[in-house]
Amino acid sequence: MALLVWTMVGLAIWHFTVFLPDNFYGGIVGAFCGALLGSIIFGLIVNLGSIPGEHDTDLMTGVEAIPGTLIGLGIVWWLGVRQINAEAQPA
Amino acid sequence: MSERRRSLFVLLIVVALIGGSLVAVLTRETKLGLDLQGGVQLVYHAEGTAAQPVVDADAMQRSIDLMQQRVNAFGVNEAELFQSGKDQIEVNLPGVEDAQAAADQVGSTAQLFFYDWEANILNDKCKTDPDLNANQRQPIVGLRNAVLQASKCTNVGVGAGLNPLADNSPGGPSEAAKKPRYYLFSKNTKKPLNDGQSYGSREDALDSIKPADRPNAEVVQVPAGVLVLREQRQTSDSPPPDRWWVIQDRPGLSGTDIKNPEQTADTNLGNEPIVTFNFTKKGRAAFHAITRKVAERGADNAFGGNPIETSQHFAIALDNELVSAPYINWKENPDGIDGATGAQISGSFTIKSAQDLAKILKIGALPLKLTEVSRSQVSATLGKQALDEGLKAGLAGFAIVALFLIMYYRVLGVIATVALCIYALYFYALVKLIPITLTLPGIAGLILTLGVAADANIVIFERVKEEVRAGRSVGTAIVTGYRKGLTAIIDANIVTFLVAFILFIIATAGVQGFAFTLGLGVIVSLFTAVLATQAILYSLRGTRLIRSKAALGAGEQRFKFRIDYMGKAKWFFSFSGVILLVCALAMSVNKINFGIDFDGGTRITAPLEKAVTVEQVRDAVGPLGLGDAKIQTLLNPTVGQHVVQISTKELPKGGSSAVTKVLQDKFGLSDTAGVEEIGPSFGQSVAKSALYAIIASLLVISIYMALRFEWKFAVPVLIAVMHDILIVAGVYALVGREVTTSTVAALLTILGYSLYDTIIVFDRIRENVPRMPSAAFSQIVNRSLSEVIVRSLATSFCTLLPVLALMLFGGETLRDFAFALLIGIASGTYSSIFIGTPVLQHWKEREPGFRARRLRIMDRLGYVPAFATTEQGGPVDVQPKDSSKRRSISAPPGQEVSASEFQEMVRDLGVEESKPTRQPAATGAGRPAGGRRARARAEAASGGGGGGSAAPSDGSASPDDGGDDGKERKPRNRRHGRPR
Repeated sequence: MALLVWTMVGLAIWHFTVFLPDNFYGGIVGAFCGALLGSIIFGLIVNLGSIPGEHDTDLMTGVEAIPGTLIGLGIVWWLGVRQINAEAQPA
Repeated sequence: MSERRRSLFVLLIVVALIGGSLVAVLTRETKLGLDLQGGVQLVYHAEGTAAQPVVDADAMQRSIDLMQQRVNAFGVNEAELFQSGKDQIEVNLPGVEDAQAAADQVGSTAQLFFYDWEANILNDKCKTDPDLNANQRQPIVGLRNAVLQASKCTNVGVGAGLNPLADNSPGGPSEAAKKPRYYLFSKNTKKPLNDGQSYGSREDALDSIKPADRPNAEVVQVPAGVLVLREQRQTSDSPPPDRWWVIQDRPGLSGTDIKNPEQTADTNLGNEPIVTFNFTKKGRAAFHAITRKVAERGADNAFGGNPIETSQHFAIALDNELVSAPYINWKENPDGIDGATGAQISGSFTIKSAQDLAKILKIGALPLKLTEVSRSQVSATLGKQALDEGLKAGLAGFAIVALFLIMYYRVLGVIATVALCIYALYFYALVKLIPITLTLPGIAGLILTLGVAADANIVIFERVKEEVRAGRSVGTAIVTGYRKGLTAIIDANIVTFLVAFILFIIATAGVQGFAFTLGLGVIVSLFTAVLATQAILYSLRGTRLIRSKAALGAGEQRFKFRIDYMGKAKWFFSFSGVILLVCALAMSVNKINFGIDFDGGTRITAPLEKAVTVEQVRDAVGPLGLGDAKIQTLLNPTVGQHVVQISTKELPKGGSSAVTKVLQDKFGLSDTAGVEEIGPSFGQSVAKSALYAIIASLLVISIYMALRFEWKFAVPVLIAVMHDILIVAGVYALVGREVTTSTVAALLTILGYSLYDTIIVFDRIRENVPRMPSAAFSQIVNRSLSEVIVRSLATSFCTLLPVLALMLFGGETLRDFAFALLIGIASGTYSSIFIGTPVLQHWKEREPGFRARRLRIMDRLGYVPAFATTEQGGPVDVQPKDSSKRRSISAPPGQEVSASEFQEMVRDLGVEESKPTRQPAATGAGRPAGGRRARARAEAASGGGGGGSAAPSDGSASPDDGGDDGKERKPRNRRHGRPR
């Protein structure tokens, strides 16, 4: 259940990346992967590698996916900017 | 073959098939599922046994065959048994009312073994004491005590290599207890869970209960070679005693060593019912050996006492329950019993129970151990009600789809409705011919395919209308509409068919029925919507019926959807994001309300004779441990005036019968109560199979999309599908609706629908990319969406109409299904346009080619307009590259460019129109547009020299081009140029 919630939160936040310049590594799809992986991996880390079941899922489960998503998006953004800078430098 | 002949030929086939279908419909019976006619459904999970450790296809089939024999022996007509998934067997028993009796008869694994009783009973030190007569021993009270004692006997072993015929052997090697068994108990109450059932592994044992109950469960292992046997019943009617024997499993012979079991009466015992049987050659020797050893031991330990009191026993155990432990009179049979005349089992039998045992022995032991995971009973009244509601919903769905098509597409709509009627007839005939067992989810699938069938027509009709509005004649527009629309329809239908196929292969039985109808519907609808309507329309070309634009609903478009979709996409993205966030938080807080299909439990729907309150029912069933059960009164006049529904966690064996008996005694039942008992493992297997089906579908579809389009088109499709499925799941969490297996089927349908819709949109983008060689990708997408939006809305509306009919007329089960579909289809349409397409646009814009185009437009204008204009390479009809050798310089029918299109192209390309010698030329063909008079005028204007036209002068104009003069030209023989 928690995995589903983390995925939904990741997907929900990813939708707002359209307001940002397209600097993500791999574009909007890269951002999608970053958001989903970030939310799930962070959720797993917070829960010490386990996925809370139906009865252990609460509001915090949803909230704890938010920083994970933002971190995931941040990493993909950083990778994208690095790539853009590398391309901009003269050979 | 000419087009007219081809159309005539297709129509002849259609008519012939109609005739055949009518015959099938009128003469064949419709096979109704249990949910539509009433009966008992049992689902078993198969596990390996000592004799058959691996659950393979062969073992499953043998089990099914044996069970079929057993069902036939008990006189159940039209019973259906089939494998469901990898290790489940579904048994449908129409017309049966006593679910408990059916389960007892069908699911009994009948593992019959004969033991030298005294030589195998283990004492509390885990030792045997053959000299101590069983009469002087007592069984252990309580299963937990017996299992705990058995768990200590780790040194018993499986007796490998033992010869049952040897003098000092207690029997042969272990069979029933060849491997360790695991029992589940509650840590708090110390009572057995799951009715004391044993499992092959600790994991299987824990999987059989809800995750929430696992921390409070205690799993106890009984080592291999040790068997816990229930004490025999006093009488056949008495409840199974909670007294147990712990024995070492050294059977002397098994059920396979006997033959010809029969129920007879023992005249010596006052005609008491007994079961007699003969032995096989091997069985006879083994039986003789056991009885001789038992008799000799009895004599040795009698010390001259009464033979009846001092004689020792051999035991017959059936499915870990002691059936009988007769003594061997050492005085009468000092050398044991030969077995030449067979043997008999007597004691505690009624005639019926003796008959049942004889039948079970006759059929033999099943190769696999079967555990019942789901049981449901539907009363005939409820079944009939469901059928009526399903048919009503189907008819209503059909009527409103037809009404919509006729109102919106006029004559084309009438043709589509005729095609829908043909589709429904073919489909119904196939249901009878195959035959398909019609279930409620199957009817839902059928109603849904009505929408899919109508959609194929809508795709083509919208194309035809586009062509007509672009200035083509009706005849040409029909040909072009079919040519252009066919690719999208085939792609979309192949994808839906692939989804249905994967569902059928992977999913469990309920979903399989739905998948089968969906897959079949796709094939039939391709035939009726593409071939049949095409043949009808081609035959009608040139007739008055479809000559006018208004008759096709292709008059002037009142409202054009020229919206900057990509510009506004970020707001739609935000909208989706907010909804998903709300849904995610709702899911965190409210969870998903899984029905008993997933969590396991029992639901009893009982029509009572008198009005009762919930409290009265609670008081009545409270003593049965149902004080906390969810009890509600239902308003369902068809089933009864006073219907009560009790939902609770899983009841022990016979629990539901006890509840219905209490309700019968206290309030009276006006009809059979409906009972659904689902084990937790059943729900898990449904969910697991659905998950696998979704993953497999997405994988296959990604590959297909990558091959047919390009791989970048596959990713947005997957994102759109994910969006839709999560939205539906979120809405379920938000509104707290119960999730059932129907919801799973609906989710999978949404997957198919969402893909279908997105593919239609992407197909248009793919088509427009070569037509707009200088436009930015956002401009291509905007144009494509503005072209396809009406179709998308029309088709969604058309699919939503039957879903709405399901909601209104479909009854409780179909309403659940329809709710998920309603949300999913709305979300699917939305995501195709506002999620999948913008993702594709964002991604494609990163490609160097499209990035360069965008930069060029920016350099020129300072911004990128929503729609391409001439400057940015607006729509130009560029035919895709054709690698095949061009055989004729004449344009194939339907590929000509109309005059207005040509003018539009000229404007878009910025070519001066005032050049006197330039004539509108057909794409590729070089033939002047228009009819004879137009050509004559053009030739006159250009001095009769052809005006630079590359048109051949042999009169090879397409027969489809009706021209602007409204007159039909006689088709000419292409070779000779003479009128035919």
